Amino acid sequence: MNFLLSVSRLIDAANERIGRIAYWLVLIMVLVSSGNAISRYALSIASNAWLELQWYLFAAVFLLCSGYTLRHNEHIRIDVISGHLSRRAQMWIDIVGTVLFLLPMTAFITWLSWPIFMNAWNSNEISGSAGGLIRWPARLLVPVGFLLLSLQGVSELIKRVAFLKGLIPDPLEKHEVPLELAIARDEAAK
Amino acid sequence: MTQFLIANMAPLMFAALVVFLLFGYPVSFALAAIGLSFGFLGIELGLLTPALFGALPERIFGIMSNDTLLAVPFFTFMGLILERSGMAEDLLDTIGQLFGPIRGGLAYAVIFVGALLAATTGVVAASVISMGLISLPIMLRYGYDRRLASGVIAASGTLAQIIPPSLVLIVLADQLGRSVGDMYAGAIFPGLVLTVLYAI
Repeated sequence: MNFLLSVSRLIDAANERIGRIAYWLVLIMVLVSSGNAISRYALSIASNAWLELQWYLFAAVFLLCSGYTLRHNEHIRIDVISGHLSRRAQMWIDIVGTVLFLLPMTAFITWLSWPIFMNAWNSNEISGSAGGLIRWPARLLVPVGFLLLSLQGVSELIKRVAFLKGLIPDPLEKHEVPLELAIARDEAAK
Repeated sequence: MTQFLIANMAPLMFAALVVFLLFGYPVSFALAAIGLSFGFLGIELGLLTPALFGALPERIFGIMSNDTLLAVPFFTFMGLILERSGMAEDLLDTIGQLFGPIRGGLAYAVIFVGALLAATTGVVAASVISMGLISLPIMLRYGYDRRLASGVIAASGTLAQIIPPSLVLIVLADQLGRSVGDMYAGAIFPGLVLTVLYAI
């Protein structure tokens, strides 16, 4: 179990790094897009390469950050029922969900998308528009993004099991101030 | 049994979807798993061909290169700036002073700031609600009813989805194959009416 926990920590650290780098691509993408719009309307200069860079960056953001999002448990859930269950039951839901839903799906899509990348790599596939970018980086994003998501799924699985065995504290614990506490603090200040 | 499955594929899929969503696992993965498992079921029953799965990475590629969805990072960016700069809190403070003398002024302030933020950002309701939550302790201190205060905050949070420019409307426009402009034109009036109704 200790070995698995260190694997989980390794995956967490990797996805944290990648996520933190990848979310800066939002800023770059906004700047590139604004630059494109300005140059097209003000200077009447447009370039397909720059236009395609916009969606390359956009795709990189949501694909490379999906593991990071899973690590921070920020994927949208419907907690109408699960919110009333105990912490242990929620952990069991996550374990079952990860094994039955998440991992098969990510493994399947990684497996399906890899040959498409290889194909684009071998044939030097280029965008259909004039002056467009080469395609393989975009094709590579799909398997890489889903691989990161699978790895994070494995890591979350290890953490849930370790929690159920009482080896680690609650991995879902957030370090924000709960509302009731904020209100109480405010009352005290008054 | 097989006949029943073949005849009722779509309703069964929908029922399974509802069950799995209520299960509490992240929506995106539950959706993907349902799609895949019913895909396999369909192939087993001879309704679909395995070649269709080959199109799956192409669909993801379609999302990546979708021009309409390019607006999403802009909204993310704008939401981030608002959150980190504390502009929303300042706005709440100012409008709170404007409505200060009126009875229930703070509740009006939350609604109008909600609408203004909705009109300027259009990011998901959660950020507007978290902004409104700042005003909750203050409202409670001034003797607002707990239920009224939290209701006002939650309701004004939903305005972000209907008052243009709204992220939800962009995604809807993409799914429905309509132009984003049409969606905005259709939504702006109900959005404003809703704001006024909340205030009344």
